[in-house]
This record gives sequence, C-alpha cells and structure tokens, in this order.
Amino acid sequence: MDALTLPGTLDSLTTIRNYVREMGEKAGLDRKALYRLNLAVDEIATNIVTHGYEDAGLEGDIVISSHFQPSVLTIQLEDTSQEYNPYKLEKPGDLDKPINERPIGGLGVFLAVRGVDEFRYEHVNGRNLHTFMVKIPSSQTQSS
Amino acid sequence: MAFDAVLNLTPTGVAIITLSGELDASVADKFRSEIQKAADQGARRLVLMVKDLVYMASAGLRVLIFAKQKMGSKVDLYLVEPQEAIREVITMTGFVQSVIVLDEYNAAEIESV
Repeated sequence: MDALTLPGTLDSLTTIRNYVREMGEKAGLDRKALYRLNLAVDEIATNIVTHGYEDAGLEGDIVISSHFQPSVLTIQLEDTSQEYNPYKLEKPGDLDKPINERPIGGLGVFLAVRGVDEFRYEHVNGRNLHTFMVKIPSSQTQSS
Repeated sequence: MAFDAVLNLTPTGVAIITLSGELDASVADKFRSEIQKAADQGARRLVLMVKDLVYMASAGLRVLIFAKQKMGSKVDLYLVEPQEAIREVITMTGFVQSVIVLDEYNAAEIESV
C-alpha cells in the first residue's frame, strides 16, 4: 500500500490518523479495534516527534506505510530521529494510584502496546522502525 | 474533526469545559490553558462535557493529571457522556477511579458544590 512521507511535526498527527483510519476500514477492522490501532500509532508518532526529533534538536520525516495480509493488517512508522527505544521510556507507574500522584509520562507507550496484537521496535541502519500488527476478523476479510 | 475547548464558570464556582473533536498532542495545550484559566478563577469543581469528543490521546490524560495537580486533589473531576472508546481508555489506564463518570448531565449533583 502507498506509503506517506510527512514532516516529523505534531501537525502531521491528523494526517497519520486519517491514513490509519482509511487502511483499517479497508481491512475491515471493527470500530473498537480501529480506535485502538489509531491510538497506538498516534501515541508512537507523538513520541517520535517530541522525544526523537524536538527534544534532540533534530528535524526529519515520518514515513507511514501499511501492508495487508489475509488475516493481519500491518502499519509501520519509519523515522530518522534520535535512536529511541519506547521500552526504555518512563513507565506509566502504578495504574491503581490516584492520578494526582502519577508520573506525567509513559502512558503513550502503554496504550500503544496494549492497543495492538503485536508491537515491535527495531533500529536498522540509522532508522527507527515501529511495527503495529492487528488481526483481521476472518468473517470480515475482503475477498479481493 | 477540529478540536475545541470552551470554558464556562458558574456563579457557584463550577468550571464546565466542553470538549469536541479530536484531542491529540498537537492541540492539548488549548485544553490545558482552559484548565489553567479555571484554576486561576478559583474553580472548586471541574466538569468536562465530552459527548462530542471523538478521540483522546494520552496528551489529554496528561492534562487531566495537570488539572488534579493544579486544582488540588480534593477538587472533583466529572466526565459527562464519554464515548465508549474514551471510556475504555479511562478504565484501562486506571483514571476511572480519579474521575466521576456520568452518563448524563445531572445539574442537581454537579452544580451544588
């Protein structure tokens, strides 16, 4: 599926969500699965922009692409920001704690990992690759 | 759908903020500044009308943490008519125990501080 290359800024988030929505609808995801996938990709894209590019004083692009298999929709984000491992970021802390006692970060990655069936991070040839995979319900798989 | 946040403060000190559209990291500052305004005016309760809020990223959750920290943990925070997906995120992250979720606006409960 066609990839989109967007500037690595927060202004690109709406375009990224629209892209994910279009692909999710094509794949036949239900509303709930689509919302979760959208949230997952949006959270990671936000981290790429704020931590990977802005905090590091860098500028660059985010490339979003998708891949359809009969039973799995894969969305991938690729960027050249500072090598940044989502698993090493601040943890969301104790989810049972009152929110006024919580650390302010870590929720985005938590929502990303929880929002998809498989989430992967790799650093390859100076590029960050984030991969999101969601199972497509078989009854809704397109027959094309 | 463009995001909007509109603050109304009742004479009894209840800050009612109506949120609509998609709340992501690029617009969270607008929400945050309405919370700041409410806190500066001495609001004693915060009510978020979210029926038309169709999307909320963790940037929105962070503003809720900011609100509790800014206004004090004793200030009740109401979330009125959240859509199912937003309700799910509130539950999954444990925020549900720090906010009061209402299915409809209940003036008697909300406006008597």
